[in-house]
Amino acid sequence: MVVKNRLINPGAGFVRTGLAGMVFLVMLLMSSMAMAVKYDVVPPSGTHTGEDVPQPIEFPHDIHVKDNDINCMYCHTYARRSKVAGIPPTSKCMGCHKVIATDKPRIKELTKYWEDKESPLWKKVHDVPDFVHFTHEKHLKTLAFDREFPVEDIKEICAFCHGDVENMTVANKVKPLNMGFCINCHIANKDLGAPGDCWKCHK
Amino acid sequence: MSGKMNRRNFLKVMGWSGAGVALTGCDMPTTVTLEEGKEEVVSYLMPEEYVIPGVGVWYASTCTQCAAGCGIHGRVREGRVLKLEGNPDAAMNNGKLCMMGQAGVQGHYNPDRINTPMMRTGGSLTPISWDKALGVLEEKLGTVNGDRFAWFTGTISGHQSVLLTNHLDTMGSTNHYAHEVVNNAVSRAVNQDMLGEANPRLRLDKAKMIVSFGADFMGASQSPVQYAGQYAKFRTNKERGLLVQIESKMSLTGGSADLWLAIKPGTEAVLALGMANLLLNKIKISDAGIPADVRTLIDTYDITKVAQMTGVAGDRIQRVTQLLSERAPSLVLAGAGVEGQAQGYAATAAIMMLNHILGNVGKTIESAGDFPFPQLMAKQGGTADLVAFAEAAKAKKLDAVIFHGSNPIYSAPKSLGLTEAMANIGFKVAISQFPDETTMAADLVLPVDSYLEDWGTQVPVDQAEANAIHVQQPLMEKLNAETKGLGDILLTLLKQRKKDDYGQFEDYYAYLRNAFAAMPTSVKNAAKSNDEFWNMALQTGVIKVDAGTKTLQSTVVSFAAPVEDNNAGLTLLPSPRLGLFDGRHANLPWLQEAPDQISKVVWDSWVEIHPDTAAKMGIGNLDLVEVSSAQGSVKLRVVLLKGMHADAVAIPLGQGHEAYGRYAKGLGVNPLQILDATTDGKTGELAMYSTRVTVKRVGPADSLSIVRMGTGAGDSQVGRKLVVTVPVEQVRRTEGT
Amino acid sequence: MSLDNILNHWSDYRKGAEEGGHHDYEHRWAMAINLDLCIGCNACSTACYAENNLAVVGKEKFERGQAMHWMRIERYWDQQELEHPEQGASFLPMMCQQCGAATCEPVCPVAATYHTPDGLNAQVYNRCIGSRYCSNNCPFRVRYFNFYSYYESSWPEPMEQQLNPDISVRDKGVMEKCTFCVQRIRTVKDKAFMEDRSVQDGEVVPACAQACPTSAIVFGDTMDEGSVVSKLWKKHQVERGVYQKTKLAKKDADLRGYRIFEELNVDPSVMYLERVREDI
Repeated sequence: MVVKNRLINPGAGFVRTGLAGMVFLVMLLMSSMAMAVKYDVVPPSGTHTGEDVPQPIEFPHDIHVKDNDINCMYCHTYARRSKVAGIPPTSKCMGCHKVIATDKPRIKELTKYWEDKESPLWKKVHDVPDFVHFTHEKHLKTLAFDREFPVEDIKEICAFCHGDVENMTVANKVKPLNMGFCINCHIANKDLGAPGDCWKCHK
Repeated sequence: MSGKMNRRNFLKVMGWSGAGVALTGCDMPTTVTLEEGKEEVVSYLMPEEYVIPGVGVWYASTCTQCAAGCGIHGRVREGRVLKLEGNPDAAMNNGKLCMMGQAGVQGHYNPDRINTPMMRTGGSLTPISWDKALGVLEEKLGTVNGDRFAWFTGTISGHQSVLLTNHLDTMGSTNHYAHEVVNNAVSRAVNQDMLGEANPRLRLDKAKMIVSFGADFMGASQSPVQYAGQYAKFRTNKERGLLVQIESKMSLTGGSADLWLAIKPGTEAVLALGMANLLLNKIKISDAGIPADVRTLIDTYDITKVAQMTGVAGDRIQRVTQLLSERAPSLVLAGAGVEGQAQGYAATAAIMMLNHILGNVGKTIESAGDFPFPQLMAKQGGTADLVAFAEAAKAKKLDAVIFHGSNPIYSAPKSLGLTEAMANIGFKVAISQFPDETTMAADLVLPVDSYLEDWGTQVPVDQAEANAIHVQQPLMEKLNAETKGLGDILLTLLKQRKKDDYGQFEDYYAYLRNAFAAMPTSVKNAAKSNDEFWNMALQTGVIKVDAGTKTLQSTVVSFAAPVEDNNAGLTLLPSPRLGLFDGRHANLPWLQEAPDQISKVVWDSWVEIHPDTAAKMGIGNLDLVEVSSAQGSVKLRVVLLKGMHADAVAIPLGQGHEAYGRYAKGLGVNPLQILDATTDGKTGELAMYSTRVTVKRVGPADSLSIVRMGTGAGDSQVGRKLVVTVPVEQVRRTEGT
Repeated sequence: MSLDNILNHWSDYRKGAEEGGHHDYEHRWAMAINLDLCIGCNACSTACYAENNLAVVGKEKFERGQAMHWMRIERYWDQQELEHPEQGASFLPMMCQQCGAATCEPVCPVAATYHTPDGLNAQVYNRCIGSRYCSNNCPFRVRYFNFYSYYESSWPEPMEQQLNPDISVRDKGVMEKCTFCVQRIRTVKDKAFMEDRSVQDGEVVPACAQACPTSAIVFGDTMDEGSVVSKLWKKHQVERGVYQKTKLAKKDADLRGYRIFEELNVDPSVMYLERVREDI
């Protein structure tokens, strides 16, 4: 699997090893010396057979991600700055679709929502219980940015929990996203700084 | 399209809906509702750059939970306001917020809000459309004759007040009744006469000693957060301030006193005269500026007589007076229990005179300067207006009245006959958020936005050193589309009368933008454009205003001698408290469930009696009693409290609502109802603290009927080291370390 | 601390801090409450209701002692022998003291309450089975049990919209208590983490401290020696893990700091400063 190959490649990046103040220095040092990383990410394991979720507009992730190579974070822009990744605002869709593929039925539907100033009622596919404090931003920072993981390949990181979205039309839940799924990954990535404290996630 | 995205439209965009709340626990099947596709996500149509889902954004606004007008910050997430804090840019409350301000969100999200206009048809209020309501309003007000029209409000300031005044003008009327139960109207009158300013700036933080005659400045006062902040400085000054509280019922402020003295209700003026006597004749402070008749009066109050009349021990009086002369500057304050006497003006003047004698004026009482926008300043409420209104209604002088922000039917003593007199007013309009007593008696009810949904400006009465206009902006989209802002309603009323002048403003928001643009450049500070000024004002919530500096005059007016009252008996103290306040917050469950600060009772009314007094009448703790005045009686439970003078009984305000929603209705009793309609001759204010009552035991103790927060073994620490008290020397020895 | 850790170090866990504790702490959050400034006004308590989704239980349940006030103001009368309380009332803001050697922790049969690397006494609602052993073992009586489900009674529509999404609404059968506003700590720590820096003193302000009109409550990290709270603890000679210390020079210095029930060796994280009264 592509994702896995990428991540066990020791040259992919490096890792937070200690407390915040120290890390930056260590990182600089290591990068300048082009040394191999001590630890690497172990992706979570587990599968889930998600139900098909009918969405108000059948959004084709495959066309956007695979065919047009649009980065996940172009639309799910909040992922790197918030707990939630966010559904892109309609204005973002219209940024392209004012001119692109305006004759397609799904785009016509979208345009109607936009003109009516209404938001489509998207159905949630990926969710964690409300008593869980999960943040996208910290995961992205640890798994990608701090390791200088190439941002253009970010979908490989997203795929840890969201699966192979580039081959889906509307998203489908393929990972269990339950406590076992989370905690096993945290234990496996302890050296990366994955916390084991209950109150880190339970709120 | 983006050009149309003003702030209101921006608020229209929504975040995650339906995410709601986590229900955790072992037995809740709803705990994990993670099935795909069961919940919906509403994306933003067009987000602002600073709005990030999952991250709270803080907006500045102004609290209107009482008339103080503190600046607030509201935390908004996904389009909902969740939590209110004090605005650190607002100098008066300095980032702090009291319990009433904290509970503001519960008024906003209250399940008992009125969500549609209503009109009285066939005796009951029935929903109608806004179009119809406004049509009726236009028609009815069109036929009212000048002075037969009136507005009845609480304290009101800012641009809403300007519009209200303009509306009165267009109606050809001058009748604006402003009513507040918790007010300092008598002090204002005294200050005006003695200092030349009704609302001078008090500087508790500069005082080395405060003697408060029942002024509950940290509790139910004009600006509790501001004075609590000043109190903190007063206590942590290099020389720790000394607080002496003299009152007939221990107030919240009294609970923090170094020395708390119980005084026979109604004799505060006597004590003040006695202290003046000591200061002038024994300590030999100059009597300059004191009118001859007052000087003569002072000389008649020697310490023995004063001690005997007030019930305060002579040596205590001497010691407190001695300390007052030594610890300059000091500050002497008069509170509601003094102002609310049959001779409230005279009693307050006698107390304020001490500040003159002690030279406090100009030191701990400063001039508030000249606020440059008098038309924005608060029209401050009192009870004189309530009395005048009742008189006018009884005399059938009013045909149409609009009520807002005040609940006179609840707070008027029965003896004023207001409830009956209301029938004489042909057309009563209530602009109201809740179905309170006055609203339920109205002919037309207009549902108003909560203060967290509305635009406005507020000018605090008690300003900090840095004067300011506080800006009120919607923190979220209206909960119900059918409510309208107060400013919008006022503007509509004005448009009905003067289309030419007001037609140019689409709504109150547009009016405010215009008003802000028209502000003088001195106020606009460094703003380069009107838009920038507007944005700065919204961002900080505060428009700083220079009120200049002025010097107060320090004079003493002649006042009437205290009337010696030999009529033994119990005086009823209807005491307001931080929390339910004058009853306006009885519909906020957090405040109902917050124990009274002194007696620790929740969700109820009770009467506080000194144990000795109760014992004499054969009354025990939690017994059911009947408290009767000449005007009527109420039945409630007894809480024995040593922080009482033996001749006083206190019933806290706030309960006894006959309407006002599920949390308020039917709980406890309303002591205001049984007050005498006596007024202070000089100011016309109701003498709320002068009613005599009798107390009769009518039932046995019943622990279930009164609920108090338990503190283990009753009220005692039983030797445990919980709250440790140390003498002041402990702090003083280490000054500066 | 993970469940794994709790199970592996169960016996260490029962030792108090006097035996060296059992943690490599990242932070040790603590408070200093100046009782000379507390005026008993209830601002903190109401702010806590607003911040922490505390249920309103109503009169009857309050009477049965089921009120959920995580932060409550106790009021004592000290001069019971006098005709009047001449020195006013003694107010005590009381909430979970986040004990370093908490008595509630070892008695929990399911490790739902445990000590975090932040020095907080955590309550994991999902793990709680409602045995109530913890509250029975708490000397401060600051743990509150959900005898009922309050969701519908306490937040009738639209009041539920006020609920803070950063913290769960607890349901029937679950114990709860003051968390030192862990959701605020979490938000600040996340922010610091994202900015590759450590948490600054004064960045975390619990709801009670933020509301307090007299600023009587100071909050901070005692592991950060420069923090205001550390300095206050030090000034008043109150130390973690040190009990019933005879204070040096008590007579000459302002050493008003003390912890309630210090003699129980539970190592509370809240230092109170004695109330001062001038006897005139």
